[in-house]
Amino acid sequence: MRHLLILLATLIPVSAQWIHYPTPGIPRTPDGNPDLSAPAPKTADGKPDISGIWVAVNAKYLNDLAADGINVPMLPWAQALYKQRKDNMGKGRPSERCLTRGVVDFDTIPMNIKFIQTPGTIAVLYEEYNHYRQIFMDGRPLPKPVQPAYMGYSIGRWEGDTLVVDTTGFNDIGWLDNNGYPQTESLHVTERFHRRDFGHMDLQITIDDSKAYTKPWTVTVAGFRYLPDTEIIENICENEKDFQHMVGK
Amino acid sequence: MKAHTVMIAIALAASAPAFSQWLRYPTPGIPRTADGKPNLSAPAPKMPDGKPDLSGIWVAADGKYLPNLALDGVEVPFLPWAAALYKERQANHGMGRPSERCLTHGVTDFDALGTPRRFIQTPGMLVIIFEAYNHWRQIFLDGRPLPQTIQPVYMGYSVGKWDGDTLVVDTTGFNDRGWLDDGGHPQTEQLHVTERFRRRNFGHIDLQLTIDDPGAYAKPWTVNLSGFNFFADQELMESICENEKDVQHMVGK
Repeated sequence: MRHLLILLATLIPVSAQWIHYPTPGIPRTPDGNPDLSAPAPKTADGKPDISGIWVAVNAKYLNDLAADGINVPMLPWAQALYKQRKDNMGKGRPSERCLTRGVVDFDTIPMNIKFIQTPGTIAVLYEEYNHYRQIFMDGRPLPKPVQPAYMGYSIGRWEGDTLVVDTTGFNDIGWLDNNGYPQTESLHVTERFHRRDFGHMDLQITIDDSKAYTKPWTVTVAGFRYLPDTEIIENICENEKDFQHMVGK
Repeated sequence: MKAHTVMIAIALAASAPAFSQWLRYPTPGIPRTADGKPNLSAPAPKMPDGKPDLSGIWVAADGKYLPNLALDGVEVPFLPWAAALYKERQANHGMGRPSERCLTHGVTDFDALGTPRRFIQTPGMLVIIFEAYNHWRQIFLDGRPLPQTIQPVYMGYSVGKWDGDTLVVDTTGFNDRGWLDDGGHPQTEQLHVTERFRRRNFGHIDLQLTIDDPGAYAKPWTVNLSGFNFFADQELMESICENEKDVQHMVGK
């Protein structure tokens, strides 16, 4: 928790403020407030539309993806590395050096993100690091091994009203959360996004990485709440400013 | 100029790993010639509302304007302090610019940069996701005004409107730390950039920039950049700038 506080304190300039601009076209109650319990909107083809600005409901799962006490089936080397990272209070993770996060820790960080859904692609814009991610919705398969990357390569499909996103092509440098659950290039992440109503999106994540874990494990993380009448702001990570504030062995 | 070329070569070499390769995947839904190749001279596609659709992956037709937006000999009407700072940056081979420290580029140097970027156009906005730095930019097309005051940033705040088939994008809200190009044309928080994007045909976007910054220049100045070529059958790849790896390769005073 201390890490998170330090991180947030250093990332956001004191003078930062989000722009207030009424989000066009969203459902509102008679008093003009956003109607967050209205039904989830649909795209022209009848699929749920998850476009909008969202923020993770809390930070609990950023620090520990398995915060709800599920048993994480770590292989011995992964167990040892996780213990070392935890004992070291998470020092050394890529995000502290302004590199980036990956799919899983971006899903759990309580900083604003924007989904832009088009028929062939969902773009996700993250306020943190000013980084983005693409999810291809045009039916293409996952590619053969690509250049391993923090964000991997993502394809999505609809299962009823749930968006199921499969991602592979990860590097082994990323961490699944701030405490440091390890990942290897075998990592396959499955995310299940369900926009329950206008204002809420549930999210379940399955980690399948046979080089680090004996079997796949699934967590239901906090999900997102809709942020109306605002915009994401530029947040360029300034190298090495966080790094010096990290404490550890 | 020679020194700049060397620096760019070093910067590109340092930011793209030697083993990197773009993923080849046939871009769905684009016009093709009888032999299956992308038909880059086909007409520009349109959105359902009849406006041009700029969506796609694009790369600057020529990277030559990145070192100097005014390469074609436009006389840049510097105020004296800006002329002095530009001279100093030039003498120092552009050392010290924000992009060398992995911070970011701004609107104009991203427009001139020779690495791929994807335009995603929706009725309300145009999003640009850049391969370089893995950064994004938003251009609002929903008729909102430019905000009165915002936190000054590298990318500013952009609104666009259609002038016939040309998308005219106005951006303000810049900080004074960005450089307009790698050569170091200065900017202040008064900077107002106007970009005119015109998708001439399927394969090419023309781009004109107007720099209006009374804090640094005596009057607005306009340049035509190389524009963009459509980058077919490939995808953007992740390019995370690794801090301080480029900076040690920079040469200067």
